[in-house]
Amino acid sequence: MQSLRHSSESDDHGIDLAPMLDFVLNLLIFFIITTSFIKEAGVTVIRPNADTAESRESGNILVAVRENGEIWIDRKPVDVRELRGVIERLHVERPEDTAVIIADKMSRAGMVALVMDTIRAGGIKDVAIGAAPAG
Amino acid sequence: MLDFVLNLLIFFIITAVFVKELGLMVNRPPPQQDVELKGDESINIQILANGEIWMGDRVVDVRAVRANIERESAVNPKSGVLIIAEKDAETGVVVQVIDEVHLGGIYNITFTTSG
Repeated sequence: MQSLRHSSESDDHGIDLAPMLDFVLNLLIFFIITTSFIKEAGVTVIRPNADTAESRESGNILVAVRENGEIWIDRKPVDVRELRGVIERLHVERPEDTAVIIADKMSRAGMVALVMDTIRAGGIKDVAIGAAPAG
Repeated sequence: MLDFVLNLLIFFIITAVFVKELGLMVNRPPPQQDVELKGDESINIQILANGEIWMGDRVVDVRAVRANIERESAVNPKSGVLIIAEKDAETGVVVQVIDEVHLGGIYNITFTTSG
């Protein structure tokens, strides 16, 4: 009797840690994903091809410039005058982010240059022009 | 095992997202100093709105840019490239030229616009 009660008590005290550990791990992974997710532009653009394009691992703010001059960022179209504010906000949220301008093949170079300057003025100094690998 | 497979799946989704974006790095001239930049030791490439590429005083084909860059950089290995595109020039042409200059061995490119 004594030994039986003792064993049942020890069962009550010993919490099974395995499911909790799994749960915490999944939670951790979930938060990693949501925080490091690319800010997608939200439109499809035809990227110019380039052989020497480098992979930009931390380039996760995508700014799309369409052939008609529209600018898309974070799945919303923005005016060029609002762009600086948007970039400043994103830069404050995640200061280590870099930007990639994905400009359509047929977009105007003047627009790309303007967007590039605006992003720099907004605080993100590391700006690249997006390209697709050739072939 | 199901948990493990799920974690593996999530892991691959993350890595796929990280390595997706490719880009070309170019410099921008500091504001209001375009005029000074044109005077230094750089190779100038002009891109017109109609798609013509001018190097020096000649029109060159986009495929000839690489050879020209290789020759110029052999003469003066430290020179950078200044790309002056007209505002209405197509980005596709600009990116092609940047790519060709990279292939020619010069990564110090400044991109500016005119007109």
